[in-house]
Amino acid sequence: MKQTEHGQRRELGRRTLLAGLGAGMGLAGAAAVLGSPRRARAADHPLKGQSIHMAILGIAGWTPSKLGVDLAPDFKRYAKDRYGYDVDFSYTEAPFSQLFQKAATSLATRSAEYNIIISDSQWLGALAQPKWILPLDKYIAQRKGLDIEWFSPVVRAAYQTYPDGSKHRWGLPQEGDCMGLYIRTDLLNAPGEADNFQKKYGRKLPTSWEDFEALSFDDFTKVIEFFNRPEKGFNGFGAQYSREYDFISDPVMSLMRSTGGDVWDPKTGQVEGILNTDSNARALSTYKSLLQYMPKSAINYGVGELIDAFAQGKLFSALQWCAVGPAMITDSLKGKVMVVPTPYFPGADGKHNRNYIIGGQPWVINAFNDAAHREVALDFMEWWYTPETSLAFAKHGGNPCDKATLTRPDFDSIQPWYRAYKYMLQNSSDFWHDPAYADLLSVQQEGFTAFATGQVNDPKHTLDYIACRQQKILYDGGTAQKAPSAACNGIRL
Amino acid sequence: MDTAPGVSATHALSDPPGVGARLAALLQRRSVLPTLLLVPVLLFFIVWNTVPTLWLLGLSFYRFSLTSGRPPIFTGFGNFESILQDSEVWLALSRTFLFVILAVGIETVLGLLLGLLFWNSQRLPGRRVALTMLFTPMVLTPVAAGTFWRLIYDPTFGVLSAMLRGLGLPTVNFLGDARTAFGSVLAVDVWMWTPFMVLMTLAALASVPKAELEAAEIDRLSFLQRLRLVILHHGKFILMLGILLRTIDAFKTMDLIYDMTFGGPGSTTQLVAIMLYRRAFEVFSMGWSSALAVILLLISIAFTATFIFVLHARERRKQDMPA
Repeated sequence: MKQTEHGQRRELGRRTLLAGLGAGMGLAGAAAVLGSPRRARAADHPLKGQSIHMAILGIAGWTPSKLGVDLAPDFKRYAKDRYGYDVDFSYTEAPFSQLFQKAATSLATRSAEYNIIISDSQWLGALAQPKWILPLDKYIAQRKGLDIEWFSPVVRAAYQTYPDGSKHRWGLPQEGDCMGLYIRTDLLNAPGEADNFQKKYGRKLPTSWEDFEALSFDDFTKVIEFFNRPEKGFNGFGAQYSREYDFISDPVMSLMRSTGGDVWDPKTGQVEGILNTDSNARALSTYKSLLQYMPKSAINYGVGELIDAFAQGKLFSALQWCAVGPAMITDSLKGKVMVVPTPYFPGADGKHNRNYIIGGQPWVINAFNDAAHREVALDFMEWWYTPETSLAFAKHGGNPCDKATLTRPDFDSIQPWYRAYKYMLQNSSDFWHDPAYADLLSVQQEGFTAFATGQVNDPKHTLDYIACRQQKILYDGGTAQKAPSAACNGIRL
Repeated sequence: MDTAPGVSATHALSDPPGVGARLAALLQRRSVLPTLLLVPVLLFFIVWNTVPTLWLLGLSFYRFSLTSGRPPIFTGFGNFESILQDSEVWLALSRTFLFVILAVGIETVLGLLLGLLFWNSQRLPGRRVALTMLFTPMVLTPVAAGTFWRLIYDPTFGVLSAMLRGLGLPTVNFLGDARTAFGSVLAVDVWMWTPFMVLMTLAALASVPKAELEAAEIDRLSFLQRLRLVILHHGKFILMLGILLRTIDAFKTMDLIYDMTFGGPGSTTQLVAIMLYRRAFEVFSMGWSSALAVILLLISIAFTATFIFVLHARERRKQDMPA
């Protein structure tokens, strides 16, 4: 109900603007225009003849985020041609770890400094709960161009929905992203390697995409062990362990979920008893054990450091986001890298379990935009999901999410990571979509890095500590029904 | 009767002075002009210091998260109670005190030694260049220094690791190993702020009267006696001021370490200022972090009061002694 009221308040603002335009259009008229076919709207667009400046806040150093603005000149022509208004864009950026801070401090002052914000999917709750961003249900219902069929239900759950499991949509996917496994095929196919691997492990060295799809985690560790040659300054594997932002949480949560565990129950907000299980403790230990196949500095690896190590040819393989494909596969590595699905974990039922953390970002519309900026933001997003723009985005290295583009016969061949991206998009899930996300993450990052670096050596105790603190955060915030148990009294790392 | 200079008493009695003359007379009163000159500074202080501090104090009594979408709820001393019962806060505080004691202690000793080395070295060739180089770390921004050192410490690409490898020694993951991270960030703080203590030492040494030093030399006092009885006697105020400033500054160290380790690995380098930053600007738990900020402000005031008390203890004793 509150969302409806909020939506109505925004509509009043737009009516005022329309009155100011002297067009004599009321809200009903505007709604009729919005609901009419695109060609009719082009002739009568309420902003026709106006000049609008749009400000986008995005992620620094993140190619798909920047593409949102790099492709904007096409929208400029599109808007002039179809709607008759002029638009230009400016782009402000901040690193992942500081973007939410930049957005939140601006939105908290009810500022329309950033008209569109490229948010991380986990922040939806924190942005939606204080009503800083525009609820999109009404606009999606009005605009056919925003009512997209996505490639996987995960897209809607991760990039649009808050609260989890509800029908309320607050964002649209700017880019999709999943974890993939980057493999050096030139080393894999080097003379003698397959024979040596066969001799050492008594099995065939996986070489094709299909081989890796059928590769279990245990078998994968044999491959990275085989290619781990620290004496030559070369290692078998690289992944993220840094305390910055969510860097260590991504792979650890992936292993936990792929081995049958989870981190909480989104319905009850319960963490204790779900996160701190023996299965999750084993997953945490397993992830730490992978450090033996990595460079010493891997304990500090975030996204950037992992890109550097792989691009400089120091790693045989890397667990990394598909979104950074252009940076991972440099000119010198072109034709030498294959991106494949991440290894599976065998389930008790014999199934191949892969449930890795989803990446990617939705974009959200500032709720404090005036009617004109809101209208342009919606036009812009409608344009973003046209087949032509979606394809252009893909060709520039972005990861679209719509079914129409991803099921194109030529899609897999557009970028080296697209086949894996499509595959993993169906095998991924997101973090908590809770307003207390940052607090939950901070505790988890502290605990996971404490264990990975040897500050604490008991994985179960580490998870007990995290679970207790997260339970308290969620209970204090009103999400969890139960307070932390008595076992949590005085617990510390 | 007071009259403005140059204005005769007769004239003053017959005609009331104009606005300009009255203003001039007012300004010539002893207390008015200085007060007027102080007004802009006082206004600035009230707007940018007093009001925010009072706001902070008020907010510390509320439960308020910027992202919860709920209005602030008055909880009295609830936030303070929560902080005092939080083992992580106590750990961060104890880690911070350890950091302050070690950093300021090492910086003071090194600063004193280096200061004495450069004392009376005006004729030393290259003195200016050496001093300029010595003071360089101090003028860098902590974020830049943190970034340099993160790269220097990197076990794969770092200069330090390359040197260790060159010497045939194993490389160390200085910032990534829970056993070495605290010492590594401490070393960077010492590198950065020892020059400040050198500067304070040189200023303290400059305040020592030459006549007393010459007298001490004539009396054939040993170096340690001269240091204790003459140099420290005169220079102690400046040195203590340096220690006080460094203590307060080290207590709120955040940016230097945050850039190197983000407070990790685990929580091994998480000082209380980093914890405060995280809770305020990553988690947006404004009430709780305001309460922590108030506690830290009180601790800083306590530091200052203690130093001033110690500094003036001897003077007070002298004054209390019967003549």
